[in-house]
Amino acid sequence: MTLHVVFAIADVEYALPVASVLQMESFTGATAVPGAPAYVLGIVTVRGRVLPVVDLRRRVGLPPSAPTPDTRIIVTELEGRVVALCVDRAREVIDLDAAARQPAPDLVNERSAGLVHGMHAVGKRLLLLLDLPRVLSEHAHDHEPRALLDDETHHRPALPG
Amino acid sequence: MTGSTDLKEFLAAYLVEAEEHVSSANARLLALEAAERSGTHDPKALRDIFRSLHTLKGLSAMVGVEPIVGIAHRMEAFVRGFDRAGTAPSLQATDVLLKGLQAIAQRVAALARGEAAAPPPPELLAELDALDAKAGPLAERSGPDLDLEPELVAKLVPFEVEQLVRGIAGGQRGVLAEFVPSPARAAEGLSINTVRERLAAVAEIVRVLPRALPLSPESPGGLSFQLILLTQAADEQIAAAVGVPVASLRPIRSGAVADVPAGAFPDASVPFDDGDGADGFAAGVRRGIVRVDVNRLDEAMEGLATLIVTRFRLARAVADLAARGVNTRELADVVADNARQLRTLRAAIVRVRMVPVSDLLDRVPLLVRGLQRTTHRSVRVELEGGDAELDKSVSERLFPVIVHLVRNAVDHAIETPDERARRGKPEEGLLRISCRARSNTRLELTVSDDGRGIDSQAVARKAGRPVPDTAAGLLALLCIPGLSTRDVATTTSGRGMGMEIVKRIVVDELGGELELETHVGTGTRFTLRVPLTISIVDAFAFECAGQRFVVPVSTVDEIVEVDRSELVQVPAHHGGGPELDVILRRGQAVPVVKLASIFRLDAAASAAGKAIIVRRAGAPIAFAVDRMLGQQEVVIRPMNDTLVRAPGVSGATDLGDGRPTLVLDLVALGTTLNAGAPAPRVVA
Repeated sequence: MTLHVVFAIADVEYALPVASVLQMESFTGATAVPGAPAYVLGIVTVRGRVLPVVDLRRRVGLPPSAPTPDTRIIVTELEGRVVALCVDRAREVIDLDAAARQPAPDLVNERSAGLVHGMHAVGKRLLLLLDLPRVLSEHAHDHEPRALLDDETHHRPALPG
Repeated sequence: MTGSTDLKEFLAAYLVEAEEHVSSANARLLALEAAERSGTHDPKALRDIFRSLHTLKGLSAMVGVEPIVGIAHRMEAFVRGFDRAGTAPSLQATDVLLKGLQAIAQRVAALARGEAAAPPPPELLAELDALDAKAGPLAERSGPDLDLEPELVAKLVPFEVEQLVRGIAGGQRGVLAEFVPSPARAAEGLSINTVRERLAAVAEIVRVLPRALPLSPESPGGLSFQLILLTQAADEQIAAAVGVPVASLRPIRSGAVADVPAGAFPDASVPFDDGDGADGFAAGVRRGIVRVDVNRLDEAMEGLATLIVTRFRLARAVADLAARGVNTRELADVVADNARQLRTLRAAIVRVRMVPVSDLLDRVPLLVRGLQRTTHRSVRVELEGGDAELDKSVSERLFPVIVHLVRNAVDHAIETPDERARRGKPEEGLLRISCRARSNTRLELTVSDDGRGIDSQAVARKAGRPVPDTAAGLLALLCIPGLSTRDVATTTSGRGMGMEIVKRIVVDELGGELELETHVGTGTRFTLRVPLTISIVDAFAFECAGQRFVVPVSTVDEIVEVDRSELVQVPAHHGGGPELDVILRRGQAVPVVKLASIFRLDAAASAAGKAIIVRRAGAPIAFAVDRMLGQQEVVIRPMNDTLVRAPGVSGATDLGDGRPTLVLDLVALGTTLNAGAPAPRVVA
């Protein structure tokens, strides 16, 4: 069993192993960096450290939206890089059984440009597993995916609460 | 403080000390070899090597690193043979000794990573033993008998035995004392280090040997130190220095007193009189030098950075009060005092972080030596001016730059001895690195060679660009990413490999300058000017299209008012670039670009009432911004992630509002514009 942080973008739920998450913070805006890829909101200071913020909405091909009180940034660490992900909300940590993980169907993988590399069914909910290295790869902006998983291609999970 | 803490502290100090001795022995060996090649002998270098090996061995035995003891012991015995004979080791022997040092260095590095030191490679020991045997009777050991337990004698190196025997023969008394560290002792101010210091005043410390004891109330650390001393002082003084009863001291007698004729140990006391083996720590303490893990310095710097940010907030709050009509005179005085104190504190911390440039340069001869082998060049290295100091973090970044430049010079620029002879040059090439502090803030470092120079036509051909007519143009070509590779370097004239990296580090990361001077047939010189420190700088804050930025004062030439009527708009040849104006400044036409349009900010919201003029490669360029907000010290935090690395942006800072503000490098931005790219990357 591995603990995962569950977060949502446009009502689709995703999970990231807690091992790659340093902390979560509320989001009050970033300083734009001229010349950065469009899906990079800019930089924020978290506990004295200057971090890039990836707008996960735009990263998965959705239109940007204004931050709300629910908006969170998830500070992730990957091979020494520390990058913040901006998500619509994140308030749950869940234990997932690695054995229950399913590979992403080819179509999902293709439509998401490889950003989703697995899924977990938890009761009636479906959690998508993000391929963090790919999300943070610097060449990613060359081929941004089309809107990820429109209504037709997945069954939208029920919202908790 | 318990004994185990003592040992742990010893290990940290041991690692530092061991590294120093390895690198010093390396440098001396190379000096010895150079002297040998020129037909002279450098006995002092040889003695220094002996002393380093001796100390390495003593220190390693003290912390129980047997593999290093084994290697150092053999090397030491061998070197001593030469020292006695007054000759230098052969070039072949020097090779083996260098290998030995490398093996020691690898083991020290393993210990530093928290791993165990691997046993010495048998083939290395065999090679060393073979040398030792060849050194013949010179390496023979004398075995004077000492009235000490055999296991103690076994832990002494021959030199220490000699030191004892000679000392006793010379009228000193040998004394064995034992110090058991404990929290109670520590409370009295007694640790092994203070004991060493106190003893140093009354006795000669021949050797300190740690010993494991069963845990007991008397030895809560399960450890004691046996101190082997030579002294002329009374037992009472020794006992007081160690903090033990007089009765616990034991005399050490030498049975060989009568048998030691003067000169039986030629020179032994002369070169090594102050090289008291494992006593290096105490020496460090005596000099009042503290070694500090660089991470602790970073913590202090971090703390200072937050203080500076807090000061901005304070100043801002005071200004707000004043704006509301409150009398803030006294408060403003306090804030001003605080600012001054912070500057003093900052200067103090910055000084602590400075390391001598020689730390960098001293590694060059070893590098060149290795390169000569593989490239069959013959190169003499001249180093000059290593006593300038620069920040540890700058020094660390600079090292790969020096490696690249040196490698290029030896590998490609300097011709083979045959070719040099044909061209009427001395067969031995010259590589010269000199450095000096140019001001309080910049260090100038030059790397020059007397090789074949750079053929700009060949480089241009390779790059598929027009032949540059200036050295700066040639340098720009060399620094094109992906140019590089051996074929350019070898067929043309030697540069290219790694120049992109050199430029990235010197110019982009350190905010320095890079210059090139080259003459075909006679040589090449690279000049680097880098800041001595990074991280905290004086900067102008300004606003542009509603966003705040800062730019380091040192990069700004001038700040001028922009009167729109004075601007002359330049017709745009190919569309898409930012609109370009020209302004006359003291008779010189200066291009003016709007920062808002380069950065794709809301240009309509930008009044562009001020212009910040910088110079790139001597030519001024003006960036139009809305308004200046003032000048202040800022802490620059790096933005290293590839997602936010953009030309013109060198980092971020906090002006006191808790949000990052971008620190701009307008010189680099100007260069980007010049290269024809309207913006670093298109912002959608």
